[in-house]
Amino acid sequence: MSLSAEPIVSINEVTKDYHLGKVVVPALRGVTLQVHPGEFISIAGPSGSGKTTLLNLIGCVDTATSGVVRVAGKDTKQLSERKLTDLRLHTIGFIFQSFNLVSVLSVFQNVEFPLLLQKKLNASQRRERVMALLEQVGLANHAKHRPNELSGGQRQRVAVARALVTQPQIVLADEPTANLDSVTGQQIIDLMKAMNRERGTTFIFSTHDAKVMTHANAVVRLADGKVLDRVTPAEAGVALAAGGH
Amino acid sequence: MITLKLLLQVAFRNLFKSWVNLIIGGVIFFATFLVVTGGALLDSIDSSMSRSIIGSIAGHLQVYSDKSKEELALFGAMGGETDIAALDSFAPIKAALEKHPNVQTVVPMGTSGALITSGNTVDLTLARLRALYRKNTAEGETAERRGQIDSLKQHVRQLAELLQSELATRRELIREDQVDPADAAALERARSEAFWADFDKDPLGSLEFLENQLAPQVADGDLLYIRYVGTDLASFQKTFDRMQIVDGEAVPPGKRGMLLSKFFYEEFLKLKSARRMDLIKEARDMNKKTIALDPLLQRYVKETSTQTREIVFQLDPIKTKQATARLQDILKSQETDLSRLLSSFLTVNDENFDLRYKQFYEQLVPLLDLYRIKLGDKLTITAFSRTGYVQSVSVPIYGTYQFSGLEKSPLAGAVNLMDLVSFRELYGYLTEEAKAEIAQLKQKSGAAEVKREDAEEALFGEESSPTLVAEATPGLINDDEQVSANTAALRSEDMLKRVYSQKELEDGMVLSAAIILKDPEELNATLAELARTQELKDLKLRVVSWQQAVGIIGQFVLMMKMVLWGVIVILFVVVLAIINNAVMMATLQRVREVGTMRAIGAQRSFILSMILLETVVLGLAFGGLGAGAGSALISWLGNVGIPAGTEELYFFFSGPRLLPTLGANNLITAFALVVGVSLFSTLYPAFLATRVSPVTAMQTDE
Ligand SMILES: Nc1ncnc2c1ncn2[C@@H]1O[C@H](COP(=O)(O)OP(=O)(O)OP(=O)(O)O)[C@@H](O)[C@H]1O
Ligand SMILES: [Mg+2]
Repeated sequence: MSLSAEPIVSINEVTKDYHLGKVVVPALRGVTLQVHPGEFISIAGPSGSGKTTLLNLIGCVDTATSGVVRVAGKDTKQLSERKLTDLRLHTIGFIFQSFNLVSVLSVFQNVEFPLLLQKKLNASQRRERVMALLEQVGLANHAKHRPNELSGGQRQRVAVARALVTQPQIVLADEPTANLDSVTGQQIIDLMKAMNRERGTTFIFSTHDAKVMTHANAVVRLADGKVLDRVTPAEAGVALAAGGH
Repeated sequence: MITLKLLLQVAFRNLFKSWVNLIIGGVIFFATFLVVTGGALLDSIDSSMSRSIIGSIAGHLQVYSDKSKEELALFGAMGGETDIAALDSFAPIKAALEKHPNVQTVVPMGTSGALITSGNTVDLTLARLRALYRKNTAEGETAERRGQIDSLKQHVRQLAELLQSELATRRELIREDQVDPADAAALERARSEAFWADFDKDPLGSLEFLENQLAPQVADGDLLYIRYVGTDLASFQKTFDRMQIVDGEAVPPGKRGMLLSKFFYEEFLKLKSARRMDLIKEARDMNKKTIALDPLLQRYVKETSTQTREIVFQLDPIKTKQATARLQDILKSQETDLSRLLSSFLTVNDENFDLRYKQFYEQLVPLLDLYRIKLGDKLTITAFSRTGYVQSVSVPIYGTYQFSGLEKSPLAGAVNLMDLVSFRELYGYLTEEAKAEIAQLKQKSGAAEVKREDAEEALFGEESSPTLVAEATPGLINDDEQVSANTAALRSEDMLKRVYSQKELEDGMVLSAAIILKDPEELNATLAELARTQELKDLKLRVVSWQQAVGIIGQFVLMMKMVLWGVIVILFVVVLAIINNAVMMATLQRVREVGTMRAIGAQRSFILSMILLETVVLGLAFGGLGAGAGSALISWLGNVGIPAGTEELYFFFSGPRLLPTLGANNLITAFALVVGVSLFSTLYPAFLATRVSPVTAMQTDE
């Protein structure tokens, strides 16, 4: 894959403080990061290092305390609540650690949901798109099932399909494998990787798991709210192993 | 459109997700059910009651004098009759009203009330005796008449004996000195052989003694309050087609006379034992009650079996013997005391009631006067006229009538009908012409007697003198007056024979007039138009709808509606609170779901519609069920009917059964209310839901 010059996500000197009463908790303390289209990037770091916070800023569900976050060329600080929501709807797909499917809707309806919000496709187009994706994630014959009739891995595959159904430029996944056993987790990562390869969708996912990182083109390592370095998975594995000793 | 489909899908699926929804649903169901059934029932009562009122005496509209101090209350007010000013003449009112295209008929009316005595047994017997003696003097004695006289005398003697035995019982109960010694002495004399031996020496003197000394001691004559509506009877009967003659006949056109309400006649003028037997029969036959289980029927039996006096008093010695023999035969008893026989005969139970009822009517009633006033009799009504005189008028009773459907209603049954002439006379109203006539008479007769004007002066002057009041007889009835032929025609006997022309009827005073409309739908419009008419203003008339015209009863349904709406409002406040809480809880439970939707790209408005729509769907679903159940109940009731449990309800149900119908407005109100309230109570939780941050979706800790 070729990396174009223009980054799809560009983060510059971003800080994020949380306020717990009068105590200020600095979650990010000056993060700078560029992500280019088609990248498959893993964000690694110990618990509390700021992975989720960083993904929230990229995903436009939260805003930075200072610094600039540009997603798909737009400065998220300048956008209204409505515009941010639209940006999420059209540009970003989400995969959550605990799947977050709508329990009263069927597998098909869950995947169809973002398309309905987009109001771009008609019923048959939607059907085609949803079924194709379900086919790809191997759940075509579970379309009518409710989420609670599925295993954890199956649910996360539905979530992957839902994240991709709008053909977003970026898919964000915060610890997508944390609630799954390692084999199932591996299958999800494989699925994501395949999508990345076939569609060129940019993936940014956080993880604790060194094995999961190995699939990434690059690992951005966070510690204490700062970017330690940006390395290859191999280096990351060594560093992690070293850190572990 | 697409989103609406999705929203509906989410809403429907969520409906059965939570048991809280079932509770909300239950409350909504109940509330809608109540609004639909309560509303429909009250509307039906409203319309049936209006039929009762309009169809009995009120008509659609009533007009009465604007000078009246109080408001018209055709069915009476709390404190008796209200103070309504008289209208001099009906004719111009009728003419003025009939000009309106929607006015069909105008019926003259006047409502009033008076006391009547239904006569006690001694009085009646003595009156008969007196008549016979008079005939004897006039035509000479016949053997037949002698027989009758002896029988009646025996009856009086027997009454004295009965009175004595009663007195004896009374003495045991109360202290002797409370019995008036004069009464005791009079009774002693009436029982003595000597008195009866000498009776024929001075029959009239003896009778007078009995009338003055004995009769007052027998207190079986009731003083009754009778309400009557004076009206043009022919026009009334034509206009109020629910009215039907039950017994007797209609008062011939232009004649004076009364029609008693069948209910009144049965309730107050029938032999009480017979009335109670009728009521027991009716309760058993119609309402499937039993004497064994129903305390009211037990009371009737007890009263009937203990209060045998009214029967015993009525029977002269011959009839007493007959009754005794018949009862002995029926009861296979050797008992000779009629009171005891009656008592055990009338102690009925569920087994023997039907037979006893039959025997009562076949064996006993033919010996008795079943009603204290018989059709064809003249009823003497004593009223206080407007000017304060005590006015007495005798009116022949032609028959009894009822309003179909309202046979059992005491309210409708309280209305007795009287001709206008008698009504005016009792009312004591003098038109200008009548006053002029009196003045003329006064001149002619040289003012020998005390005339009305003088009487009035004396009456309303310093001290009123009772003698003057007694002599002053308004309405020109004075038997002792020797006046011109024209006035003589007005003497009371002649007056009864006289046929009054329609003009005479309409040219006189009335208190109000009932208006029947061609198109009752236009009632309010016509009311407003009539109120604006200059001609009616000149006549100083007040126009009111039937609701206002009937007094407090017209407000009844309004009051019931207020109560119902009070309950509904309270219920909906509860519903509101419950829905609010429940939706709040549900929303809190769904924070992650809402956050996820927001993260995925749902706008706040989507979340708002989603939560609101859910409640609306809930409201519509359960409200629909409630409305359905309510409609089903009403239509079932509409077929079966709700029986009027008590007699009072007959009036409100306009018959023995209420057949409720469901109006579209009831359903619409119910739906609007339910949807409105559920939407309103969800607004705040829905608003809170829109504030859920999409970040929530990312948070893993639960
Ligand atoms: N809503 C919040 N309010 C206050 N502090 C917060 C909030 N969210 C995160 N933090 C704090 O910010 C810091 C970064 O948290 P973040 O969740 O980004 O770390 P993480 O790398 O995702 O950790 P984990 O691996 O446990 O998920 C932590 O110290 C955390 O306590
Ligand atoms: Mg995290």
